Amino acid sequence: MDSDNLEKINTILEADVEIREKIKEHVAEFDKKARTLSGILNRIHSTRAEQLPALLGTAQPVLTSCKETTAALADIIPPHQFWKWKDMWSNCLRSAVFSVALVEYLQSGALISLPQVAETLGIKPEWQDRFMLSVEDYLHGVINLVNELSRLAVNAVTLGDFDQPIKISLFVKDVFAGFAMLNLKNDLLRRRYDSLKYDIKKVEEVVYDVSLRKLAPSSK
Amino acid sequence: MTTMTASRTLTSRDSILHAFESFRDELDDFNDRRERLIKSSRDITNLSKKLIFLLHRTVTEDAAEADDRVLGLRAAARARGKLEEIQSLFAAMRPELTGDRFWHHQRNISPGLQEYIEALSFAHYLEHRTLISYDQVQATLSDPDGTPFFTLPLEDYLLGLSDLTGELMRFAIAAIPRRGGRQKASDVCTFVRACKADFEALTPHSKELRKKQHVTAQSLEKIEDATYAVVVRTSEYDLPPELLDDLVAQTLSRAADLSSFGEDTRRKRRIDSMYDEDEA
Repeated sequence: MDSDNLEKINTILEADVEIREKIKEHVAEFDKKARTLSGILNRIHSTRAEQLPALLGTAQPVLTSCKETTAALADIIPPHQFWKWKDMWSNCLRSAVFSVALVEYLQSGALISLPQVAETLGIKPEWQDRFMLSVEDYLHGVINLVNELSRLAVNAVTLGDFDQPIKISLFVKDVFAGFAMLNLKNDLLRRRYDSLKYDIKKVEEVVYDVSLRKLAPSSK
Repeated sequence: MTTMTASRTLTSRDSILHAFESFRDELDDFNDRRERLIKSSRDITNLSKKLIFLLHRTVTEDAAEADDRVLGLRAAARARGKLEEIQSLFAAMRPELTGDRFWHHQRNISPGLQEYIEALSFAHYLEHRTLISYDQVQATLSDPDGTPFFTLPLEDYLLGLSDLTGELMRFAIAAIPRRGGRQKASDVCTFVRACKADFEALTPHSKELRKKQHVTAQSLEKIEDATYAVVVRTSEYDLPPELLDDLVAQTLSRAADLSSFGEDTRRKRRIDSMYDEDEA
């Protein structure tokens, strides 16, 4: 290789290495925030409905702080290179999406939309080719939500909330119907989607138990 | 879908289904493009492999031509048309790779790209005896006015060059039986050794390159063993290498006259047929 070529190669490499290092820094931050959120929200399984708003309140500042991280990342990525680097923060982002979606469900009983999640995490539309919330990352977050809700259905009953599992059952079936509309390839998303039916089954069993024993208000 | 609908929470089954419908469209669009690009990449791989075989044939088929330069130029000339055919396939991909789509699909076109670079750099070596540079490769994947079809990923460039060392090994060993082949093998040996050393410095940045270095090391060893064997044997005879080549060629030629194999067969058949005419 002649020296000019080597120089060209090293210039390209050094630029890449610099970007990678900067991303790593912010992803470490992001990871901490995502885990903190996860930790807070894990308490819902042992929190009665009345204390829930207070708990969700403690998650709010952490959610807001994610905006700094997404802005910092968007700043580092060169134009059109979103897909080159996205795997570095994918896991954190999916975890954050899950947390945002869970908070929304607990507050309104609805599924938060993709643009809304993006807005909550401070992801601006004009960053689109550098940093955005991809459909896949959103969908993974939603699947995690369903996993969590199937667990919540069980624990809600333990806490004496016999209504929650009925609501969860209706909700997860609607989400599953949405997923059933997708034409998926044999990738991770497909395998995670396949796992949803086990969650639905689990929730159905709770609903069955609760209805038969006439525990649920709607069954009385 | 209005922006209002997009921003509200999905509070009903219908709104959920509606949202997932648009996800389906987006994912379908991506997957369909992915399939098209993979097909294209396979076509490019196919053409590139054929070109590599053509290049090998061109430099080994003509026993009468001893001048490397002539053979090299002939190979490069034959390659030109085929390379343009491959380049036009890349040009046709361009509309599907605009903006951030390139990196979304880079993995789908990477195999074809690397195979193309292997063929291109082989043709370049045969013509110039040098390693084609990053800028030169990028230029072949650009418009006549210099606008690239896409930015050449550095890793694909390096991995394509790494595969070149395998072809050079085949080239060197196939050259040995020919006149002046020993010298050629020795030159290739030096060249591949230098390539391997250059790549080594870049391996921290690419796991794929690290893996390919093992193959390069094996190729280098094969050329080294062949070059060693040649030197050891020629040292037994106190003659210049070209004279040794001539001695070997004469032996082969005499053997070809007596059998139906070998390149002199056409001449011999003509002579035989002259006798046949006389008999008739």
